[in-house]
Amino acid sequence: MLHEDVVCPFCACLCDDLKVETDNGTIVKVDNACDLGNHKFLTDDDHRLKEPIRRTPSGWTSATLQHAIDRTVEILLGADRPLLYGWSGTHGEAQSIGVHMAEVLGGVIDSTTSVCHGPSILAIQEVGHPGCTLGQVKNRADLVVYWGANPIEAHPRHMSRYTTYTDGFFLDRAFKERKVIVVDIRRTQTAEVADEFILIKKGGDYAVLSALRAIVRGKSDMIPATVAGVTKEQLLRIAEMCKKAKFGAFFFGMGITQTQGKYKNIRNAIELVDELNRHTKFTLTPMRGHYNVYGFNEVCTWMTGYPYAVDFCRGMAFYNPGETSAVDILARKECDACLVVASDPAAHFPKDAVRHLGEIPTVQIDPYPNTTTAFCELQIPVAVTGIDAQGTSYRMDGVPIRVKSILNRGYPTDTDILGEIYRRIKEAKRV
Amino acid sequence: MIFTLNTGRTIQQGNNVEMKYHPDYAKEVSRCHMNPLDMLDLGVMDGERVRVTGPAGSVVMYVVQDETVSHSTVFVPYGIYANQVISTETHGTGMPDFKTTEANLEPTEDSVLTVPELLRALGGMPYVA
Repeated sequence: MLHEDVVCPFCACLCDDLKVETDNGTIVKVDNACDLGNHKFLTDDDHRLKEPIRRTPSGWTSATLQHAIDRTVEILLGADRPLLYGWSGTHGEAQSIGVHMAEVLGGVIDSTTSVCHGPSILAIQEVGHPGCTLGQVKNRADLVVYWGANPIEAHPRHMSRYTTYTDGFFLDRAFKERKVIVVDIRRTQTAEVADEFILIKKGGDYAVLSALRAIVRGKSDMIPATVAGVTKEQLLRIAEMCKKAKFGAFFFGMGITQTQGKYKNIRNAIELVDELNRHTKFTLTPMRGHYNVYGFNEVCTWMTGYPYAVDFCRGMAFYNPGETSAVDILARKECDACLVVASDPAAHFPKDAVRHLGEIPTVQIDPYPNTTTAFCELQIPVAVTGIDAQGTSYRMDGVPIRVKSILNRGYPTDTDILGEIYRRIKEAKRV
Repeated sequence: MIFTLNTGRTIQQGNNVEMKYHPDYAKEVSRCHMNPLDMLDLGVMDGERVRVTGPAGSVVMYVVQDETVSHSTVFVPYGIYANQVISTETHGTGMPDFKTTEANLEPTEDSVLTVPELLRALGGMPYVA
């Protein structure tokens, strides 16, 4: 059976033009996807966890779904400060149950945002977000800047769907007219396709952004001969390219959210975009990673007022990344139970944060066995959103897209499992 | 020699992100990409091993020669190997230093641990179907 306009549940490009062919419950062919999307669809069935599992002193053994849910409820109700972490690899409906659950439990809820674009959100909260949809970029942008981002490896169709290699409604010859600037501390594959590549010294992002702001402001005489390894000539040329563009689109990745300065780098980038808007039209978009990491920020914001790292221990939503974010809470050994949903912190957190997961009762709800499984007491397998579960996802530009289910592999969805756990918690708490 | 450890995504890391026990995942995220001149200074060849030691501990990785990596930095695909050396310090932002950790590199004959071995060392019990 051929499924058209399938949405890819890998990265936050959320490409919605895939064609997927299924035969007798198996995915046999995928068209239009990138390497990451192809791999996701075609190898999915090989790696699924088939049934709930529980850890015993002698090894892993299977568990009934009923036991897994009973024990998860018991763990969460017995905890003083449970951490509910992950959420970026599932649909918005499941995320919203997670936020409700955190509130009823008086726990902390955080998503993978805190270790990807959390600093971007902190900067946006300081100085605003001059954003736009990717459709605007595709149809209008004659200049694209990728700063600290490597879309060829992390978002492989970003350039062919929204920027460099696509037609634009308001551009005559988009392929030739559109210029690309890449800024990085290493010559990535994306740098190879740039019209202008700026190689900066490690940790030099803030200084280079400040220099560009000064030049755009007309203060180029105060710029030294080089800034973080970038020559003044190149900085002047870049600033001129930006000012002359009819519509510039600035995309940035973890290359500046994870370096020193963190959110202050993003603040500086937003203020450069602000400065450029005195001359032309310029926008800025974070290159979000997981396909629905943005969705968690949307869901959490409309439910609590805050986008991630929300602590309900005071009986109300409290937000203070650095204190209420997952890595910090685990490093301080503050949480006494953890529910991990749709992510793999054991692979992506520093090891001293991971160690604490194994010292407290941890339960994971995830379709695949992963490194976090090793620190869990229980894991409950669920359907994969975009393959055998449907739901709402948010693209990196904040556009919600309905992700489809294309077959039934017999697994419950995140919404089914979390809904039941939440129902039981409410019953016990009499709310 | 001290290097700045820079982690990031790669296609192969992405392809194996749901297959953490597969050898292809370990192969990709245990690769320490180095500038050839830095390799010369350190006395290591492509495919040899280095012990990478940072604020949280140390781990052995394979050296991969990579001209795109800048002097005095190394690039490691984002994953469990790099996280053996990165500290939990977030400077009040929630974000660890995934791209700015200072690490000491030295040639070693020690072997590169597998993902299950790394998990056991942290008190975990790997799941093998």
